[in-house]
Amino acid sequence: MKTTWKDIAPVPTNQEFLDIVLSRTQRQLPTQIRAGFKISRIRGFYTRKVKYTQETFCEKFQAILDGFPRLQDIHPFHKDLMNTLYDADHFRIALGQVSTAKHLIETVSRDYVRLIKYAQSLFQCKQLKRAALGRMATICRRLKDPLVYLEQVRQHLGRLPAIDPNTRTLLICGYPNVGKSSFLRSITRADVDVQPYAFTTKSLFVGHFDYKYLRFQAIDTPGILDHPLEEMNTIEMQSITAVAHLRSAILYFMDLSEQCGYSVADQIKLFHSIKPLFANKVVYIVINKIDVRRPEDLDPEEQQELQEILKSGDVELLQASCTTTEGVTAVKNAACDKLLAERVAQKLKSGTNTSAGTPGGRLGDVLARIHVAQPMGGATRETFIPEAVKNLKKYDKNDPNRRKLERDLEEEQGGAGVYSFDMQRDYTLANDEWKHDKIPEVWNGKNIYDFVDPDIEKKLAALEEEEEKLEADGYYESDESVEDAEDADTRMKADLIREKRVLMRNEAKMRKSLKNRAAIPRSAKAKKLSQLERALDSAGYDIDAAGDRARSQSQVRGRTTTRSEVGDDDAMDIDDPHKAIARAKSRARSQAATDRRNDGVVDEPSRTKAERLHKLGQKQMNRMARAGEADRHTTASLPKHLFAGKRGIGKNQRR
Amino acid sequence: MAVRAQFENSNEVGVFARLTNSYAVVAVGASENFYSVFEAELQDIIPICHATIAGTRIVGRLTVGNKNGLLVPTTTTDQELQHLRNTLPDTVKIQRIEERLSALGNVICCNDHVAIVHPDLERETEEIIADTLGVEVFRQTVADNVLTGSYMALSNAGGIVHPKTSIRDQDELSSLLQVPLVAGSVNRGSPVVGAGMVVNDWLAVTGLDTTATELSVIESVFRLGEMAAPGAGGGPQKESIVESFY
Repeated sequence: MKTTWKDIAPVPTNQEFLDIVLSRTQRQLPTQIRAGFKISRIRGFYTRKVKYTQETFCEKFQAILDGFPRLQDIHPFHKDLMNTLYDADHFRIALGQVSTAKHLIETVSRDYVRLIKYAQSLFQCKQLKRAALGRMATICRRLKDPLVYLEQVRQHLGRLPAIDPNTRTLLICGYPNVGKSSFLRSITRADVDVQPYAFTTKSLFVGHFDYKYLRFQAIDTPGILDHPLEEMNTIEMQSITAVAHLRSAILYFMDLSEQCGYSVADQIKLFHSIKPLFANKVVYIVINKIDVRRPEDLDPEEQQELQEILKSGDVELLQASCTTTEGVTAVKNAACDKLLAERVAQKLKSGTNTSAGTPGGRLGDVLARIHVAQPMGGATRETFIPEAVKNLKKYDKNDPNRRKLERDLEEEQGGAGVYSFDMQRDYTLANDEWKHDKIPEVWNGKNIYDFVDPDIEKKLAALEEEEEKLEADGYYESDESVEDAEDADTRMKADLIREKRVLMRNEAKMRKSLKNRAAIPRSAKAKKLSQLERALDSAGYDIDAAGDRARSQSQVRGRTTTRSEVGDDDAMDIDDPHKAIARAKSRARSQAATDRRNDGVVDEPSRTKAERLHKLGQKQMNRMARAGEADRHTTASLPKHLFAGKRGIGKNQRR
Repeated sequence: MAVRAQFENSNEVGVFARLTNSYAVVAVGASENFYSVFEAELQDIIPICHATIAGTRIVGRLTVGNKNGLLVPTTTTDQELQHLRNTLPDTVKIQRIEERLSALGNVICCNDHVAIVHPDLERETEEIIADTLGVEVFRQTVADNVLTGSYMALSNAGGIVHPKTSIRDQDELSSLLQVPLVAGSVNRGSPVVGAGMVVNDWLAVTGLDTTATELSVIESVFRLGEMAAPGAGGGPQKESIVESFY
């Protein structure tokens, strides 16, 4: 929510306003127009002038309306403060007038634009435009007072202190001249005017200070006199507004020395009369000027009254002296602590979902982040920090006597990539000479480390002893290696089987090792007849028929070995007319598949009719001696227009 | 004392080093800069061992150890084991573990008294941890992550857990470990606190990206440096933080 209004644009006076708007119209729009132009153009020209002026007016008015805070949108504190300072009604009326003016100007513009549509000449148009602008100017001129007022409000608003109504706030209030401003000066760096007369402070002043890493604002209010609310002046009302609306810790200042000019009784009375405003707030009574008079020095009656206030328990008494600065910080700290506790408690309460009883959402996240889980139960885990750590001198890179590190060695011996550190340097062995002994990883095909055992000698001795014992017991002398005949037989067979399998495997391998040679399928291979016969013979079939057939199928090139008979097919042809006639007769006649002359016509008359019509169709064509579709035509092999050279190079796409 | 360091442009210090109260194991790098960060703080106090595990540099993730012992995964070669044995003092027991979850640094988080381990660790491993490291072993998760070693940095003085650990989990773990715990991050918001830093009772080494705020949380919870005196620094002002962040 906005708390400062320093950026409101200045509000011009009505005269300035007019100048701004009209000169803008003059500058931004064309100015040349002639009576000889088309009337529609002239009308357009003036319509534009009127409309543009209206738009500028509206834009400027809207800027004013938007720039000022709307009272219903701002924090109640600011609303009340503005009410006190500028009178809310006045403010609202001023803005309302501006708004009304805006609407009026819109209406005027609309009317005159409509009229210009019916204007018949340049002169008429111009007069209408003049009238429109004149009326707008009049409306604007009537805004004289609101604009002046708004400008004043703007200036004052800009100078108001930036009071954030929701932040941590200490609010200093009390009778005039009790030392409120002095206190503000002493706890913050605000340069507040302090004078020894009442109502030095005429408005709210804000100072800021840090406490527990948090920024607090302290607000100094003008003094309040004890009279009814209706009789309070603007200055006092500011205090009341602040007390009423700000969520703050209230420091009610009292001056027991009565140097301020008001009696203690009066001050207590004032406290009681503004007490209703303190509901739900942290309230402290701060006794100021204790260097002059302390609460202990009061007479019993006043003491009694003071104690009366404190009795309720929600008000506490603090003491300070701004001149000696005694107790000032204590007052500040006490107030800040309690305010903080109050605010945090409220936040925790609002952030805790009622069912689970644990803070959830964002508050839960924040709390989880700062939570330090402390162990329950009393076991203490002792730490093991060597004594040397405490005596260790802090390593300093620039110290010439610093400890020598591996990095320094590296630098000395050629830097990273060149230097290779000694891995064995820090070995803790029984004898330092062993450090760089080489131990092979593998020796005689055995991993050395499989045999590394601290007790290996002992174990070896034990094994040997056991072996000797076994030997002594005659464990190895029993002979169990006699093979019976059955076993031998089985073994022999197994060997044979193995051998056979190896042979088969080899053969298959050979077969498969065709590799790159062309594989001719068996069926495609030429077989000799003898092979066929042998195969059939072995299978028990008759071989003669098959052999004959195979021979008859095979064709012999060259002259036949048999003499053919006369009358054979190969003999010379001798004409036999009877035979030829018979053959011709037996042959079928060739016939067209369709008869195009007769197909599709039913009878003779219809065919005649069709022919007549056909001729009729051709008649025209023939008379004109036109080339018909049946005419033969040869196209030119060199089309002239494409090859005769009137064209230059590449002017046309097609050539 | 908390220092920032980087291993060859990587901020994950806990990946490349293992720091305990009686020794430190540091990966072999291209230069000695990382090693010297440890050397500057620990020289002549505890042995610092240049080592590889299974030929890799991620010694911090593969091993786990405390003052009493060091556990290395089954992938460790014989030579590496011998090197560690020769370098580390005899009081430190070294044990190679046959464990399916071989990144022991990721699945085990321990100080000198207690260890929080991955729930799926084998029973034998659990016994070896208890015997070798001399700790009580609990199977637990940190913020629902089974990789306890990655998401928790622990010393005898305190511990940091995954930043999203719920308050209840923190309290539970804290009671188990009997050290104060906070949920925090290292390396500018990295939740893998175990892999992002190494810590023992007097020294913490974090990644170079660690912010001042993170570092101050680390110093206060592990009670390092000026924070070493018990109760020093007090709690962070809870009120101020709630007030300004909510």
